Amino acid sequence: MSGVKTMIGRLKKLISDLFSSTEQDDISIGLYGPPNAGKSTLANQISKDLTGEEMSDVSEVPHETRAVEKKEQVTLEAEDGRTIDMNLLDMPGISTNVDFQDFTEHGLEEDESKDRAKEATKGIVEAIKYLDDVDACLVIFDSTEDPYTQVNVTIIGNLEAKDIPILILANKTDLEGADPSRVRDAFPQHPVLEVSAKEGENIDKLYEEIIERLS
Amino acid sequence: MSDDGVTIEFLSRDKLSSHALEDKLELVIEKVKDDAVLVLEEGWTPEEKRTLITNAMEQVDDDFPGIEFMGLDSGQTRLDKARNLVYDKLFDEKARRGLTIVGNSRVMEKIKEERDAVSFLAKLESEKE
Repeated sequence: MSGVKTMIGRLKKLISDLFSSTEQDDISIGLYGPPNAGKSTLANQISKDLTGEEMSDVSEVPHETRAVEKKEQVTLEAEDGRTIDMNLLDMPGISTNVDFQDFTEHGLEEDESKDRAKEATKGIVEAIKYLDDVDACLVIFDSTEDPYTQVNVTIIGNLEAKDIPILILANKTDLEGADPSRVRDAFPQHPVLEVSAKEGENIDKLYEEIIERLS
Repeated sequence: MSDDGVTIEFLSRDKLSSHALEDKLELVIEKVKDDAVLVLEEGWTPEEKRTLITNAMEQVDDDFPGIEFMGLDSGQTRLDKARNLVYDKLFDEKARRGLTIVGNSRVMEKIKEERDAVSFLAKLESEKE
């Protein structure tokens, strides 16, 4: 009798393994970039378009996103019927420093600022660890800022080292002073798409690019 | 930092090559926490820079807000990448051409960075907020 149970157990495992090896896993897409580049605004835009719900809080205060925000099983469908099931990962903005005094300048109390700084540093470490786990990345830069910084070079360089597909987004094109050409010049080895996450400009083009590159 | 200036310390490639990465990072962050600006005679790989950021973040507290760093390594051209590959495969070491500059973020300001030129303003103790 126990031999039959063992055999049934093995059979179940075999079927389970067969399924897991043929089942298409969702693609994890990480939204990376420095603080205040517009990652959460874009994540909300995508999530709202595809699921009807927002996924992250947005604020002018840096490091609003201090832990990885996930939206699972987001399905993107192209006009020709191709689909992608994605897990969207809105990452904390990566920076090399977090000074609690910057938060007090935004009107936060000192204790609250110190707590926020601690959470932000943990978030940055978490986001960096996730560089090993994403299948593809949208790297988002603020087009009004200089894109050639060591933070950005480090993010892109690590993704390149692991052959993770990258699409760079030159965001905030709606703002005066936006200059997406600087983003292109800084990272000529990657495709750059100009978007305004806030205004929803070129987001359809972004969906086309995701389908084209990842489906 | 001295009373009226910023200490800028230059570390040669020979000195740096005698340290494993973790030891090197410990040395760098210790000096940076003491407000020195370090000029290292070597370029760092993206993976090493990632570890530098992670280690610095893990040490951030009310007195140490983290670092600024700049690189004159490029390593972006095909020639650089080919050279790195040769060094990696043949000599089992990184090519490490270039410079890396690391400092306390409360000391370094107005950072301007291009592939082949970098500049920053070192803030004196009396000017620190």
